[in-house]
Amino acid sequence: MSESIPATQLHVLPSGLTLLLEPDPAAQTVAAGYFVNTGARDETPAEMGASHFIEHLMFKGSEALSAAQLNERLDDLGGNANAFTSEEATVYHAAALPEYTPALLDTLTQLMRPALRQSDLESERGVILEEIAMYAEQPPVRVIDELRADYWGAHPLGQPVLGTVETVSALTRDALARNHRERYGANQVTLAVVGAFDSASVLAWAEAELGGWPVAAPLPTPQLPAPVHPGTVRVVHDPSLTRVQLALSMPGLPTTHPLREAAVVLADLIGGENGALYWALLDTGLADGADLAHLEYRDIGTFEGGFSCDPDRAQAVLDGFRTVLAGAADLITETAVRRASRKMAVGTLLRAETPHGRLFTLGMEHLAHGYPSPTSELVDRYTRVTADDVREVLRLCPINNITEFPPTVVALGPIETLR
Amino acid sequence: MTTGAEGKAAAPDIQTGITQNKSGPQVWLWTLDNGLRVAYERRAGPGFALDLRIPVGSAHDPAGFQGSAGVLEEWLFKGAGGRSARALQDAFDDLGVRRGGGVGPEATRFGVSGLNADLPGALALLADVLLRPDLPDAELAVLLDLARQDLEGLEDSPPDLLAVQARSVAFDGAAAAPFAGFAHPASGTPEGLAAITPASLREFLTRYGGSGSVLGLVADADPDAVHELMARTFAEWRTGRNDLVTARFLPGLRSHLPFEDGEQTHISLSSPGIAPLHPHWLHWQLAITALSGGSASRLFHAVREERGLAYSVSASPVVLGGQGFLSTYAGSTPARAPETLEVLLAELGRLPQGLTEAEFVRAKTGLTASVVFGAESLRARATSLTRDVAVFGRIRSVADLRGQLAALTLDDVNAFLEGYDPAGQATTVTLGPVAVEETAAAEVNHV
Repeated sequence: MSESIPATQLHVLPSGLTLLLEPDPAAQTVAAGYFVNTGARDETPAEMGASHFIEHLMFKGSEALSAAQLNERLDDLGGNANAFTSEEATVYHAAALPEYTPALLDTLTQLMRPALRQSDLESERGVILEEIAMYAEQPPVRVIDELRADYWGAHPLGQPVLGTVETVSALTRDALARNHRERYGANQVTLAVVGAFDSASVLAWAEAELGGWPVAAPLPTPQLPAPVHPGTVRVVHDPSLTRVQLALSMPGLPTTHPLREAAVVLADLIGGENGALYWALLDTGLADGADLAHLEYRDIGTFEGGFSCDPDRAQAVLDGFRTVLAGAADLITETAVRRASRKMAVGTLLRAETPHGRLFTLGMEHLAHGYPSPTSELVDRYTRVTADDVREVLRLCPINNITEFPPTVVALGPIETLR
Repeated sequence: MTTGAEGKAAAPDIQTGITQNKSGPQVWLWTLDNGLRVAYERRAGPGFALDLRIPVGSAHDPAGFQGSAGVLEEWLFKGAGGRSARALQDAFDDLGVRRGGGVGPEATRFGVSGLNADLPGALALLADVLLRPDLPDAELAVLLDLARQDLEGLEDSPPDLLAVQARSVAFDGAAAAPFAGFAHPASGTPEGLAAITPASLREFLTRYGGSGSVLGLVADADPDAVHELMARTFAEWRTGRNDLVTARFLPGLRSHLPFEDGEQTHISLSSPGIAPLHPHWLHWQLAITALSGGSASRLFHAVREERGLAYSVSASPVVLGGQGFLSTYAGSTPARAPETLEVLLAELGRLPQGLTEAEFVRAKTGLTASVVFGAESLRARATSLTRDVAVFGRIRSVADLRGQLAALTLDDVNAFLEGYDPAGQATTVTLGPVAVEETAAAEVNHV
């Protein structure tokens, strides 16, 4: 099902910065992104939210450009620049028409050399506090934050990416500058370029412009506290809400695990659009949303899901959710696995159709695996998944054994108790 | 069965040549006997995407039966063409296709994308859903209850609640009669859901048909074969109804919806805009891009960059009842909300003074890029084909749009803006712990 895919070139510049080039002469646009191998899990508890704060400050200009000038330059490219911060990665990306390729690379690179001015920091702190307030009003986000705090305990994956009002209010310029210096060294940074561009000239540009990227000393590998996943059921009582939002989590597989795709298929059989949870809970009208997904981090993974329902149905829906989990082994048939894996394979192939779509997969896969996986390989990884692979995932992650390994559960809403 | 002449004859006019695309996409527009228009763009590649837009949305819900369009769309998938609901979903999954769509105020959309070889299979399943649905009575109670749950869920989501409230304040409900109009969400109202019966929904389904419907398709297949496939697939589909619901805007109103435990105050401004077929449509689009199109745009700069008043601030064009409206939004913590509202109104208020040369050039670049990006992915292009035909009555090629944008001058846009005053006619709706006016008064007292 895959077709001829443009070859990816990998160059490591003398500074240690990685350059991934995937030219596609048939493309109508060009997309570029800096993928920085750091995120919220690299923060100390007192500095929660530093990665995300830095991401915001990058848009405030460099020594050469004021914030307003940088914003104008980004808009001159066509206004498709953005960034995001996750637990493990911080990504700055933009796409433009091919004739703007030099401006695209130059502007994105200016963005990566932030001045971190004190005056900009204060107004941006206000923006981030508004962002925290915005999410604090969204029950599905609140319940996930509560769940992750319970599930991970002191492990840094339990920290909210945005930080808290307290930590964001307290972050100083010095702390942010130190985080930036230590975590944005050349060896942590990958620049990926995909689409309609000339790779020789981009390589020449990179060698001239990115050779002096500062190198940071390797970060000490911290002793990570083990995730707690206590298997508890906790209710966050909020009488102002109309409905119950429930989230739950169980151990899964890390990004690097060879059965990672099989784990995604298992999650789809249980909690995808046509999964067992849909037919047990939504088709019956018990809940108006229910799902399960496989989340992967560099050394660890989870199956995370949940539902929303009427308050007086919360116990019945949770019981129904557990029943579906307990029956997971019966969902694994050759037909069901083929159906789910084909859907994933087609989705993977079609996501790669635009440079911007391909850019994310290319950059994130490279951060995770250390090499650029071609689309054909990503598609094949799904088409190769067998029922035995999925059974093996269930053996490694016995999410169907809810008695011995109960999921960690948090419910938010106008209810007092839940079992 | 079909009137094919328009298709082939029209093709040369709208062929385009994008810089990087040597051959340029070829497009065809056919009208079938029942009125269904099919807009096809041939594109080399592994996949296809189709988007069917039927001109029946929540605004068409009969007054007193709010929720009909939303519940009907769900009901259609509860079995069709001899397959149970589950077998139907399995059949879509067997093709590996991705489904999309949903119910908007003026239309219901059905989207499917997948690999080229699976286009006929996917289209056959979609036709089963539209032409041969089971509509089992027994399923309806569950679907009505799900709509009720969705409606109650709105109470927990302030921005969504504000959007519903803003429409209900800014548009005259009576003008939409006999339709329910724009004042309710797609999920309906409690009273409307209570009134819906299997018979009322079956009657409502007779609105679905070729008239006013548009199917946008991007794929790599022989156009004659595509034409024949479409004609055969929709041969038995009825003509249906194509009614435009009147959107009568009520300017200059101000309203606050209390939301006691909210973290933020949400602000919505609705203003008149430009209709899609009006000669100033692109002038208006360009002005909105300068107002809210990027991080150097006026709203982003004044509200977020300069003052740090909000994380989320935007203005966007909305088309309802064949007219254009400007919808402006920001969310700020209650103490900052009065200043945010003040800045929003000031920015809208200085539009009549015109754009600077730099703003104009930047907005033009942004709009040009968005035209290209909008046509780039299969699904986005299928949707824009459908929208073009439904809203503009023709397929607008990328080259054509780029040409029109290139021809636009700063003087053109500023002459238009001189007579455009979205602040003066804005209807303001807020939602949050305290009414914005009261907070402002309290702050004045402190000073």
